[in-house]
Amino acid sequence: MAVAELDLPSYTEQSPTVAKRFAKLKERDVALDVTRISKVFATPQGPVTALQDVSFAVHRREFMCVIGASGCGKSTLVRILAGLEAASEGDVLVDGVPVNGPGPDRGMVFQGYTLFPWLTVKQNVMFGLKMTGHSEATAESEALQWIELVGLIDSADVYPHQLSGGMKQRVAIARALANQPRILLMDEPFGALDAQTRAQMQSYLMQIWQQVDITVVFITHDLDEAVYLADRVLVLDRNPGRVNELMEVPVPHPRDPKQFLTPEFLAAKARLEELIHPQRQDGVTDRLPMLRMTPVGDDVI
Amino acid sequence: MAAREQESWFAVGRPLSRKRSRLVMLCSFVLPLALWCAIAYLPIWDSEVRITLSSDTQDDAFPTVFVPGDQMAVERFAAFQEAVRQDNVSPMPGQTPAATRRANKRVLRGLAPVAIAEGWLTADQEKDYAALYTVWKGVAEGNMKGGLSEENTVIAAKNWEALRAVSPTYDSDSFLSEPLLKLIPQGQSEVKRPSFLPGPHEIVMRAWEDFRGESELGDLGVWQRYGVSIRTIALGFLCVCAVGIPIALLCGTFAFFSRLIEPFVDFFRYMPAPAFGTLLIALFGIYDAPKVALVFLGTLPQLILMVANTTRMLDPALLDAAQTLGANRRQLITRVVIPGILPNLYNDLRILLGWAWTWLVIAELLGVKAGLTEIIDTQGRRFHFDHVYPIILLIGLTGFLTDQFLSWFRGVIFPYTEEGASASARSAARVLSKVNPLRRRRAYHAKAVPASF
Repeated sequence: MAVAELDLPSYTEQSPTVAKRFAKLKERDVALDVTRISKVFATPQGPVTALQDVSFAVHRREFMCVIGASGCGKSTLVRILAGLEAASEGDVLVDGVPVNGPGPDRGMVFQGYTLFPWLTVKQNVMFGLKMTGHSEATAESEALQWIELVGLIDSADVYPHQLSGGMKQRVAIARALANQPRILLMDEPFGALDAQTRAQMQSYLMQIWQQVDITVVFITHDLDEAVYLADRVLVLDRNPGRVNELMEVPVPHPRDPKQFLTPEFLAAKARLEELIHPQRQDGVTDRLPMLRMTPVGDDVI
Repeated sequence: MAAREQESWFAVGRPLSRKRSRLVMLCSFVLPLALWCAIAYLPIWDSEVRITLSSDTQDDAFPTVFVPGDQMAVERFAAFQEAVRQDNVSPMPGQTPAATRRANKRVLRGLAPVAIAEGWLTADQEKDYAALYTVWKGVAEGNMKGGLSEENTVIAAKNWEALRAVSPTYDSDSFLSEPLLKLIPQGQSEVKRPSFLPGPHEIVMRAWEDFRGESELGDLGVWQRYGVSIRTIALGFLCVCAVGIPIALLCGTFAFFSRLIEPFVDFFRYMPAPAFGTLLIALFGIYDAPKVALVFLGTLPQLILMVANTTRMLDPALLDAAQTLGANRRQLITRVVIPGILPNLYNDLRILLGWAWTWLVIAELLGVKAGLTEIIDTQGRRFHFDHVYPIILLIGLTGFLTDQFLSWFRGVIFPYTEEGASASARSAARVLSKVNPLRRRRAYHAKAVPASF
């Protein structure tokens, strides 16, 4: 609440450079076009609507974060984008081509560690290249470039179980990028990492994104992460999952952890906070019943 | 400085120290062995005497003729000896010279078992009186020592005096017709354990003889039979793998095949394979084929269900990941499912190999008995359990050592598994990666990786 009480600029105010950047961004082609997708799951308790009428467009080389409270269908959305699940209704177009099923044009990094444990780092990164018909030699030389990009060239011949969580996710990013997909889908990829590693990974991801022609859709529930990484943040409501707002983040590029305390950053974060955890209208706050369990006079407050 | 309190031996959910865990593991084998020794050697069983030198007596209390090898209670044996001594003091009166000569010949022959045991006579000289004469002479003159009690040595000397007085060599025409003194029965005290409980030392001795082919165990030696058993189980196991693993992979991968095959297999599993024994004999004859078939039939349902389950346990996220990397259905199976389940499949097969051994023992009784089980069966029926236990131990040891080896070998061929291979397996994996050109590019480097990020 402290953030909300600060005297912050409106999150809609954009400095001229930021405004110019968004104008340029919107001139780019639409890489990913999502129109009115819905997803209904059949459960023993009856059908459950996970997503309803979700529409948005992501431009080429845009970094879009999808945020929402847990259970709002973020993961379902990204699985539909990847083609791992089919939407009940609506279309997903990648560069104008409809998606039916998974394909190498959409790389994905998962929340859990999904490196193939029986392959070394290099072989993991080569996996997609070999699946799509590259020769062993081509795959190897390309894979090594991507491993170098994520800074793990010294560990190329190591098996995943010897890597830390952060390193595993860097390999997963390299593996997804090695296929040169149009879109990189990331489903809370840093969710299992500790705070420090996570910050480091965000910084790595920013650096990688700047150097690669890739459009990113990044699922997270961490507001700081969303504001820090995204050009635009898609906020999903829950029950059913619907687009609440598509926010343009007013924080200028290049991004730096120092920006975490700038007014624009805090304004954007405050707005997201408001959207995801709306204040109750009746002013009732969630308080526990007061049951005193300490001796009298032993107050800490 | 106060000594730090030692961790309890029985801390809930905590591992033991390395030293303690080795000690306890050692006890795991030592305790059963100690229990066996205790039962076999502690004086909980009655002793009895096994006769090594016998005599006959005119005492009515001993109407039967005892021969060396017979066993009797300790007290009864003492009474037996006393009865013979009594005979020597007061020989039966009124015997004809011919009867006395016959009795004397029996006395002469009485020394034969001892003489044979001592190597003074060969087994076929038992009734060779000329040879027996030399033995009596030797014992009486002190040239042949051992085997006889002092009491009997004195008797032998007295008897020899009487014999020599008539003729120093055996001559059937001039043979002593005065009664000779009878030899006092001799025996060895033995623990009377039930035949199904041989002592460890007996097992070791019997195993030594059996495994060196020194005992009479039928037309084939232990190792030949061992070879037969190994061949049967290997053949059965290879067949079951060749048939079962593809089916199990289909079941684990496709819900269609899982629903189509697994319910019946699940039902079939409850029909014990040996129940099909006679059917298998009718189908495959009485030699090796039905035995292989039983191992196959017994192991197949377990294999299908286990391996199908293992396949289903593969992290579905790996399949998702592979699909987003462009893998098609065939590649999903060959590049993800199969390599993904290999380490667990390997463990399943280790367990199933244990099952196969169980079925083998039953299988070898089908039709013409064969392999190690034949020894167990025929010797066990004759209550020669000292021949049975070494075979059972051999089977157990084979299974155990195979499993230990396979467990170690898993670390060699799957160096990437989290459980971690032993140091020796890791080094073997490194050697293998250098030797095998196919693995050249998969070199495993146990490189220390800084655990940052």
